[in-house]
Amino acid sequence: MPKVISIHSYRGGTGKSNMTANLATTLALQGHRVGVVDTDLPSPGIHNILGLDPDTHQATLNRYLWGETSIHDAAHDVSDRLSLDSGALYLVPSSVKPDDIARILKDGYDVRLLNDGFRRLVKDLELDYLFIDTHPGLSKETFLSIAISHVLLLILRPDKQDYQGTAVTIDVAKQLRVRDMKLIVNKAYRQLDPEALRQKVEETYDLKVAGVFPLSEEIVQLASEGVFCLKYPDHPVSHEFQKVAQHVS
Amino acid sequence: MVDSSQDVDRDVTSGHLSSLTRSIQSATSSFRNYLQDLHQAYLPLNEGAIADYIPELALAQPNWFGICTVTMDGQIVEVGNCDQLFTIQSISKAFVYGLALEDHGREYVNSKVSVEPTGEAFNAIVLDEATNRPYNPMVNAGAIATADLIQGNGATERIKRVLAMFQRYTGRELDVSVPVFLSERATGNRNRAIAYLMLNFGMVSDRIDETLDLYFQQCSLLVNARDLAMMAATLANKGINPVTGERALDERYVQDVISVMLTCGMYDYSGEWTYRVGIPAKSGVGGGITGVVPGQLGIGTFSPCLDAKGNSVRGIKVFERLSQDFGLHLFNAAPAERSLQDCLNSNGLDTW
Repeated sequence: MPKVISIHSYRGGTGKSNMTANLATTLALQGHRVGVVDTDLPSPGIHNILGLDPDTHQATLNRYLWGETSIHDAAHDVSDRLSLDSGALYLVPSSVKPDDIARILKDGYDVRLLNDGFRRLVKDLELDYLFIDTHPGLSKETFLSIAISHVLLLILRPDKQDYQGTAVTIDVAKQLRVRDMKLIVNKAYRQLDPEALRQKVEETYDLKVAGVFPLSEEIVQLASEGVFCLKYPDHPVSHEFQKVAQHVS
Repeated sequence: MVDSSQDVDRDVTSGHLSSLTRSIQSATSSFRNYLQDLHQAYLPLNEGAIADYIPELALAQPNWFGICTVTMDGQIVEVGNCDQLFTIQSISKAFVYGLALEDHGREYVNSKVSVEPTGEAFNAIVLDEATNRPYNPMVNAGAIATADLIQGNGATERIKRVLAMFQRYTGRELDVSVPVFLSERATGNRNRAIAYLMLNFGMVSDRIDETLDLYFQQCSLLVNARDLAMMAATLANKGINPVTGERALDERYVQDVISVMLTCGMYDYSGEWTYRVGIPAKSGVGGGITGVVPGQLGIGTFSPCLDAKGNSVRGIKVFERLSQDFGLHLFNAAPAERSLQDCLNSNGLDTW
């Protein structure tokens, strides 16, 4: 049975795409067939981390939603680019062309096509895991992603605005009867005790915290030029990714 | 269409969250996944032919295929070409029959049109020998006699009443395809002959041209698969449109309309349809089928390739599967393979 995992945050800049890319890669390295869909149509970016040059691919999620390509053709195998020696990793990128972004913002699209596309993708590529990287905040496509997820991972920073926004998102997710919801705290100051932070967040939201990630200078230095857990496999942050992957697998 | 994030945030704060979540749940339900799989399964079916007795009908594309259902709580689940407009054709006959019943009552209408199935073709120039009545309201003779019964002062008022009636069923204003109407009128000599035969026996009034125009216009109404599902759902919901809450047909006559659909709604295939599918339905040569599952849901399908009896090939397949899989046959006594309600309410992830 394939598993659908949505990575979401109420506010931008929380590290969703990095988290998605690293968790997807971690599971692929364990021999699984993994798909990633970038539904952040207004501000796509995960293709950078997964090494897909936007100039070399025409088939995108946008084109699928406009009926111009199949979802299968929009799925790019990035396993070789990442030099994965096991498993498989596919990315359905969103278009970075300004005209395409403007069109999707202006005209919208039939959100049901997303659901159909996700199903088709899982079947055609025989995926074990499908990761959905979302646009921050609450929109219909976010609602849909939440509704179809086996696991919803909500990322928040230790920040008052993030705390409040996450509470709103949890309310929505409960109404959408999400099956399994976990929190990830990211960009925590090193001075904060991770275990104390975990406990505080779990008590506040009455939800399990799957991981606590420090504000990492190495991730900042990488600047989205690759997948962190591949570049630094023995780094404590990579170990934390593995722990989170265990929570969703 | 997707709203901006601000719009959705406003929805959330203004208390519209529950309706938004309902629409998302409907978009991701197991039932929608099921319909999507049906659509995928039968889209490659390249059998049948598009009706071409007038040029406008021949413009339809063989790959058009839409399936829509509407439940009694107004939940709409649809896949494929459910926005594609096509002419309602014979499907109109069932609903205009309902209006005639409202205008005159059961006894009078029955004195003009019988309710017996016929083995004759739908456009046969034949009447019941004993009573001179057309056999039923779903064949052309019966539908013309029914159209004759629609009250109103003059052609304009009568068609307006028919349009208003369809609007109550669909929840939206419908248009007549003028090119189809003109073609139907120009080539309608057989129907003219039927009308004059009935006039000869005193079964219709002498306003033949006006009534035929009304009949040709009702057949030329533009609908889509969603409209057909909504119309069927309205009948399934005792005559009340489940989305608008408006009554489209007096509750006393709902049973009459559905009964005639069951026995006569699928042209010469009606007997086998009842045997295999058991869902009261009406088809049209435009490619539509509307099906009523009383108290549960309305079903509308559209695919223009027709079999030799004038029914949509893909439409029949979809109805057969729905009936079998969810036990929707009117006389089904065995437990269904799947519960329709469970399928509608459950998250689609189980069917991935």
